[in-house]
Amino acid sequence: MSISKIIEVDSINKTYKNEGLETNVLKGVSISVEEGDYISIIGPSGSGKSTLMTILGCLNQATSGTYLLDGEEVGKLGDRDLSRIRNEKIGFVFQAFHLLPGVSAFDNVMIPLIYCNKTPADAIERVKRALARVGLEHRMDHTPGQLSGGEQQRVTIARSLINDPKIVLADEPTGNLDSKNGAEIMNAFDHLNAEGRTIIVITHDPVVSEHARRILTLRDGEIVSDKINENFKESRAGLARTTIE
Amino acid sequence: MRILRNLAQALRGLRLNKGNTLLMTLGVMIGIASLTVIVAIGEGTKSKVLNRIANLGFGPESFSVYSGAGRLFFGRNRNVTSMTLQDVDDIRAMPGVAIVVPRQRKRMRIINKKEFTTTRIYGVSPEWQPARQWKVVDGEFFNDMDMDRKRKVVVLGNTPARKLFGETDPLGKKIRVGQVFFEVIGLLETKGLTESGYDPDDRALIPLTTSMSRLFRQTHLHSIKVVSTHSEVVQQTMEGVTQVLRRNHGLSPLADDDFRFVTPEGIMQWVTESEQALNRMLLLISTVSLLVGGIVIMNILLVSIRERIREIGVRRCFGARRSDITQQFLFESVLVSLLGGAMGAMLGWVLSTALKHFDFLPARITLEPFILAFGFSMLVGLIFGIHPARKAACLSPDETIR
Ligand SMILES: Nc1ncnc2c1ncn2[C@@H]1O[C@H](COP(=O)(O)OP(=O)(O)O)[C@@H](O)[C@H]1O
Ligand SMILES: [Mg+2]
Repeated sequence: MSISKIIEVDSINKTYKNEGLETNVLKGVSISVEEGDYISIIGPSGSGKSTLMTILGCLNQATSGTYLLDGEEVGKLGDRDLSRIRNEKIGFVFQAFHLLPGVSAFDNVMIPLIYCNKTPADAIERVKRALARVGLEHRMDHTPGQLSGGEQQRVTIARSLINDPKIVLADEPTGNLDSKNGAEIMNAFDHLNAEGRTIIVITHDPVVSEHARRILTLRDGEIVSDKINENFKESRAGLARTTIE
Repeated sequence: MRILRNLAQALRGLRLNKGNTLLMTLGVMIGIASLTVIVAIGEGTKSKVLNRIANLGFGPESFSVYSGAGRLFFGRNRNVTSMTLQDVDDIRAMPGVAIVVPRQRKRMRIINKKEFTTTRIYGVSPEWQPARQWKVVDGEFFNDMDMDRKRKVVVLGNTPARKLFGETDPLGKKIRVGQVFFEVIGLLETKGLTESGYDPDDRALIPLTTSMSRLFRQTHLHSIKVVSTHSEVVQQTMEGVTQVLRRNHGLSPLADDDFRFVTPEGIMQWVTESEQALNRMLLLISTVSLLVGGIVIMNILLVSIRERIREIGVRRCFGARRSDITQQFLFESVLVSLLGGAMGAMLGWVLSTALKHFDFLPARITLEPFILAFGFSMLVGLIFGIHPARKAACLSPDETIR
């Protein structure tokens, strides 16, 4: 069985320039990720984790180095293609949820479908199924303000899945949640990985990183360790394979 | 279609930010309201003047020459006394002239026992009636004999007749003007109020000789009405009249005319000129207020983009292109401007109707300002929306979600 690389990052650097002051945030980072892998990136605050995620998520471009995503060289793409990749291949989950305030859970989950090249005919059904999958079918008309933190993060997971992306990128997804809700969210990621999606979770919580198969450690913009998690359950028999397709 | 989905998002954006939406509509609303009101007043003024012309009894072959320099009905000097019957005789002798009517005119109080009213009294020659083609419905108009004998007879318009005599027949009755008694010998056909409120029936006519020697006690004329034989010779006749009057009044070649012409064309031209002046003012006022409205929209949008930076970031994360963000915010500014325009048009309509209803100013409501309002507000939305929209679109997605 040949496993294809979905992400190949080769010695990328990221430098921010602010008022003549240059900050090297990423210094020659190379990562290659197999399709369907479950990765956690840990490291102290300020080490460049979020910066790396914005580059992996095509929200930002590296200053130098190459990035191949599912065979496409991201550094050479323009706004249209980057937007298409974000829309079709990547689902984002953020620490601060980033749901649109005043907009119902249903409409928040709908957002990625607005920017598809072809809106699927069964868009409404899909949104309903995605919300049902995270157990929120009865909260569809609620706005973020009417939902608990755990519920809001479940809405963002439904939103990240609505376009059936290959990769889910999460930046501190449990950072604003208590441990019970955090565990529920991580359980959701485990399921997403079990159905074949590539998961990359950024965290500084060891409990969270323990869910991943492979743990990368970033320090001062460099990868200082790349380990396989001994406790990762190879057997995924316990996870029911459910899809939203 | 993608563009329609962006339109739908813009509508939602406006609905969710009601306070900003309302603020943004205000400037455009005021601009469009003033535009529609000014156009309505302009149209109203024009139709008022046109009505006035219709009631002056001008045919294409007639004109009047008034004593004193100035323009049309607006004399610069009321004390000019140079126009006399000599002028009338000389004009009458010119080729191409059919009828010449000398006129004196004053507003005076006329009295019937205890009833009285103030009306315009004209001293005219008997040719007045064929020149004006105004029928006498009861009795008759005064004739050359009345003129020769300076008889104290009067032909009344309907308004003073009604005010002095009510339902009783005025014919043969006496009315008093100052210390002079006049016998009513005729009644003019009723014309009725014009749309603009001018009353052509508010007049009384007496023989010119009577007005000169018994009532006004002056020999100079107020004006002369001239009817040419053909409309083609009017221009030529006016030139002849100018020469005659200048010579008779002893004006040196450098002196200005001490008389002025009133012609249907002259009035029309004056209407057109005042309309153009009004249009320039309109253009200035509406441009300034729409400009202000546009700047208000732009600034509120710029502030609201800062408030909604997360929203922009989220949309970009999930696949919005720069052009999607541009479109959404441009739609927001155009929609808000159109909304302001619609509200302004409504307000303008209400104000114009009120002006007309309470007789403050003449106003006439036409379709044009509403079409203009639609076009202008669309334009304002586009012009002042493009900068904020581009600015929103050019935010780097990673910075908007930090
Ligand atoms: N836009 C930026 N301009 C300048 N410096 C930045 C910018 N974004 C991040 N940084 C800096 O990069 C470093 C890494 O930040 P970040 O990637 O957020 O780290 P982490 O997520 O690991 O805490 C920090 O020192 C931060 O101040
Ligand atoms: Mg971070």
